[in-house]
Amino acid sequence: MWNSLAYRLWRAAYLRAVSSAFATVPLYRETWALHGRTDPVLVPGKTGSNGGALPADEVRRRLVDTAPLAGGSTEPDPARGLAFLLTRATQRPSHRLVVVVDAEVTRPPTGLPRGSRGCVLHPDAAASAGDEPVLREIVDTLRRGERVLAVGEDKNLDALSSALPAELPPPDRVPHHRIDRLTGGPFGLLHDPLLGYLGVLRDCGRWHVDRRRVHVRETTGGLAFTVLERTSPRLVDVLVGGGVPGEVHACPQHASPVIQT
Amino acid sequence: MTVRITRTTVTDARICDPRVDPAPDGWAEFAELTRPHAVWDPRLLRIEGWLARNPPLLVTVHDADGIVAALSALVCRPARLPRYAPRRTRRGPMWVEVSQPWLSGLPGIVRRPTVSGHRLRVAVRAAESTLARRLGPGLAGVFYRGVGPDLLPVLSGRGRVRRRTDSAAVLDNTFADTDEWLASLSKSRRANLRRQHRRTDADPSLRIRGGPGRADADPEAMADLLNEHRARFPAQTGDTRSPIAAPYLEAFVRRPDVHTLTYHDTDGRLLALNTLLDHRDVVVKQHWAALAPDDGGRQGLYFDAYMRAVRWCVAHRRPRISAGRGKLDVKTSLGFTPRDVYGVIAPRPVMGR
Repeated sequence: MWNSLAYRLWRAAYLRAVSSAFATVPLYRETWALHGRTDPVLVPGKTGSNGGALPADEVRRRLVDTAPLAGGSTEPDPARGLAFLLTRATQRPSHRLVVVVDAEVTRPPTGLPRGSRGCVLHPDAAASAGDEPVLREIVDTLRRGERVLAVGEDKNLDALSSALPAELPPPDRVPHHRIDRLTGGPFGLLHDPLLGYLGVLRDCGRWHVDRRRVHVRETTGGLAFTVLERTSPRLVDVLVGGGVPGEVHACPQHASPVIQT
Repeated sequence: MTVRITRTTVTDARICDPRVDPAPDGWAEFAELTRPHAVWDPRLLRIEGWLARNPPLLVTVHDADGIVAALSALVCRPARLPRYAPRRTRRGPMWVEVSQPWLSGLPGIVRRPTVSGHRLRVAVRAAESTLARRLGPGLAGVFYRGVGPDLLPVLSGRGRVRRRTDSAAVLDNTFADTDEWLASLSKSRRANLRRQHRRTDADPSLRIRGGPGRADADPEAMADLLNEHRARFPAQTGDTRSPIAAPYLEAFVRRPDVHTLTYHDTDGRLLALNTLLDHRDVVVKQHWAALAPDDGGRQGLYFDAYMRAVRWCVAHRRPRISAGRGKLDVKTSLGFTPRDVYGVIAPRPVMGR
């Protein structure tokens, strides 16, 4: 792969996450000490399966063991990382209201730019077009001429659009996709209900990984993602989507890591 | 690392880190000869070592015929950091505890049956010297836990400190059957045991299963229950044990010499468990854990487990049962007698002497 300083820093952050997980998190200690892992190898002679990566279903089943010994949350945040990717996903600096329409997301996204507010809307509520407070807020914001951004699966975004009055301008929309259902754009976010938002489709047409907060590596079981920013629950080398084969390259235009499935 | 002492026979003391080293040379013959409890299996020590804050080292002392004695040496540090032990031993203040963390009231030393007295003393001193060299100047000394009167003269000496600690409860099996054991108890305890046992047996909402090599046991549920049970009681001062990990229990309860008794409710929830380590000399009634009554636990299972354990030992003619330390008054009422247990400290300057 490429040999830039950015890559070396990205790799160093990943190695720190692996080292910390091995030293403090029961799930990874058990898996890697007793069965092994690769890249980096922690116990010589043991390679484990899938290079030490774990399927997302197993990690979800054992979430209680993903908290470090010092303690911490074991609740995943499916909206994690959204705020940092929105600018690149929409090419707009901010929106007055960011609505996540997804059944898995129960808490609003955090870390949005100043002046933006986040909220979540269950897809059933979006489809029912009833007296839903979030729908009222979306309508009021659009009536004021301010921008609303809706994030979710395409079908849910369609349901939201049809629930809004026809005379109002439609909200901006960015669909998010699971790794096994990536599309060609023109806009899109890479999402996993356990790890949160992992990457974004940029103007070059490639799926870019959020390299400040997420690491990805190729394993025999598929692409393994690591959340670098959160220490609890610690999510390291998780095979999202049941393990989707893919490659990690450097984007020739942006020189940052992109995935190709 | 090897230390040679030529006072009696050539004696090599070797240190094996079970996490990464293979079993010591001659371990299979030594284990065949001494039949140590299941917790001494190097494969279990490997799992335990990786998942502990204070991983055990297996120190073996050899002569021309093979292993003379083996010590389970836990490397302990004063700072209880919330992290597992590093892969390589770091410098800094530390001490070694010679004990088997999950064998309460028994020492962390196993010896060949013919080795005692001066030979054993030389072997233990060789192990101490090797530990001192391996662990460096940060090692403050060795603390022998669970020392019985038979080992006390071997471990004691000039400059060493010895103190009597909580006694261990041991039941000598001189009974022809369970009724004879019950007859040796007080009237109220006997009636209580019979009542609890009848009630537990007749309870349709209880699923009781017991036996060796339990492949059907759920190690994660067992580990959760054991750790929750331990957390309900205030931590003992100087308790250097780590939480019990599910992979350890998974390997442990599948062994043919580990009998596991489990109580489930009809929903499949684990209510209580007890493990019994089979042994030709001393059967150890080891882990006990139960849900608190407020969380749906049942009363009386503790005594039912004792009833079943004693019944099994009597039926299989095991000479004695050790129930470890703690709750001595209850265990005494069940016919167990207290046995003196000592702790011996060998400070660094006298280690190996």
